[in-house]
Amino acid sequence: MGTFEPVIVAFVCNWCTYTAADLAGTSRLSYPTNIRLIRVMCTGMVDPQYVIKAFLEGADGVLISGCHPGDCHYINGNYKARRRIKLLKEILPRFGIEKDRLRLTWIGASDGIEFAEIMTRLNDQIIEMGPSQTRLNKAI
Amino acid sequence: MMIKIEQEDNSLTKGLHQFFKRLLEMQEIDALFLPVRLKDSSSIMPSLVTDPAQIENAVPLSPAFPLNSGRMVSRLSYKESGRKTAVLLRSCEIRAFIELIKLKQGSRQELILIGIDCPKALTLSDYTAYMEKDPLEDDAYIQKVFSEKNETLNGFNFSSACNTCENPFPVNTDMNILLHGVDLSNGMMVESGSEAGQKILESLNMQQTSMPEKREEVVTQIKEVNSKANEAMIEDITEKTDSISKLNAFFDRCINCYNCRNMCPVCYCKECVFNTDVFYHQPVQYHQWAEKNGLVKLPTDTVFYHLTRLAHISHACVGCGQCSNACPSDINVFEVFKSVAQTTQVAFEYSPGIDENDPPPLSVFNEREFEDIVGIK
Repeated sequence: MGTFEPVIVAFVCNWCTYTAADLAGTSRLSYPTNIRLIRVMCTGMVDPQYVIKAFLEGADGVLISGCHPGDCHYINGNYKARRRIKLLKEILPRFGIEKDRLRLTWIGASDGIEFAEIMTRLNDQIIEMGPSQTRLNKAI
Repeated sequence: MMIKIEQEDNSLTKGLHQFFKRLLEMQEIDALFLPVRLKDSSSIMPSLVTDPAQIENAVPLSPAFPLNSGRMVSRLSYKESGRKTAVLLRSCEIRAFIELIKLKQGSRQELILIGIDCPKALTLSDYTAYMEKDPLEDDAYIQKVFSEKNETLNGFNFSSACNTCENPFPVNTDMNILLHGVDLSNGMMVESGSEAGQKILESLNMQQTSMPEKREEVVTQIKEVNSKANEAMIEDITEKTDSISKLNAFFDRCINCYNCRNMCPVCYCKECVFNTDVFYHQPVQYHQWAEKNGLVKLPTDTVFYHLTRLAHISHACVGCGQCSNACPSDINVFEVFKSVAQTTQVAFEYSPGIDENDPPPLSVFNEREFEDIVGIK
């Protein structure tokens, strides 16, 4: 058996974190390929069901990352996202999906270096947690 | 203000009929919405009554709870009708309705909300069986259920939602009919809860009375018993569903009929995402799932559906138990919802259906809150 390569789904907002990822790329920084970016217009559009679906189909971690508070392109989408993540962090552990598999960060458009660092850290932490139970036991 | 409703012919139900009749005969009230035994059948269904003569078929105290009427009252009130309606509801129905008001799917403007100390309800399947096997008269039922306080009725099960209900006493109404802690042989009491309610009670010119001393003690006692049952129920259901494999097993009989959603009074979307093309998968998708795992059970998206509903509305769950009643596969949906609702409602310090000015937690935010969940260190 090889080393554990987690699947991490990251919902990143178009205006900040996706731009930071772009900047990391053009700056030739590397970050773990386990992280699959999904660009959304705003973290405020990430319905809880997107996160639930990712976990049920076997994701080991889910990240939502958007603009810093006060910087949202749509004024307040990130505040709404924070409430939804809070909600999911209350619900999912009840069914055995650990709290720390679901993460929320704010990464601004100019934080290319920070983006690469945070992704590496997230990947390390999920590897340490081991595979999610939905990996073996999918709930389709 | 508090008035007394005397028994009529030694009957509480008939006493209530008199009270409702007087309400309906008032100029200010055009219609009454309450459970009625339908003509030529034994079914008790919530009905909108305009003819005072029809009131004698009303059954305000019964174990029948075919649906949460909060949703029906929303239909009666989401637009102006030009008529004033007094509605008689159980506590969980009132709370559901208040949640719908917050979502602009109902209004109190043309309503007089009448709450009643909850007469409890049998599960829908047990209620049907109970009705077939010589059921108690309406009055005998209420006497029995209030004096014995059992978890079953002649061997038929009360809904676990009722046995674990922490709020069987309506709040935030225009008036409440009180039965617990009241000497029923001497009649019932009606307490006003708003200015409008008080005005109506005053104009009825009925005998005034005061809160019976025993009331508070009895209310606390019932809440304590139910709260204890609730804790035990939550502990039990949490143990039964605390991993994904257990959750899969719990919902494995789910046939995606969506009855639980349709009967949920607070599942408020006009069009549900689960009815859209998103879940009308391509045939190849099923094959891919099967190939990946060796097999895929159909219908798919069952656990996904329940988890999504938990995320969408558990904060507003009023614990009426109609989701379990609606399930043709006999899955105890309610217990999972109640256990999660407890957690999410505490997390957002939210009590659904109590105060209509308390906004649903996912419709608002504060700039500085929940900062501990942000960041990867």
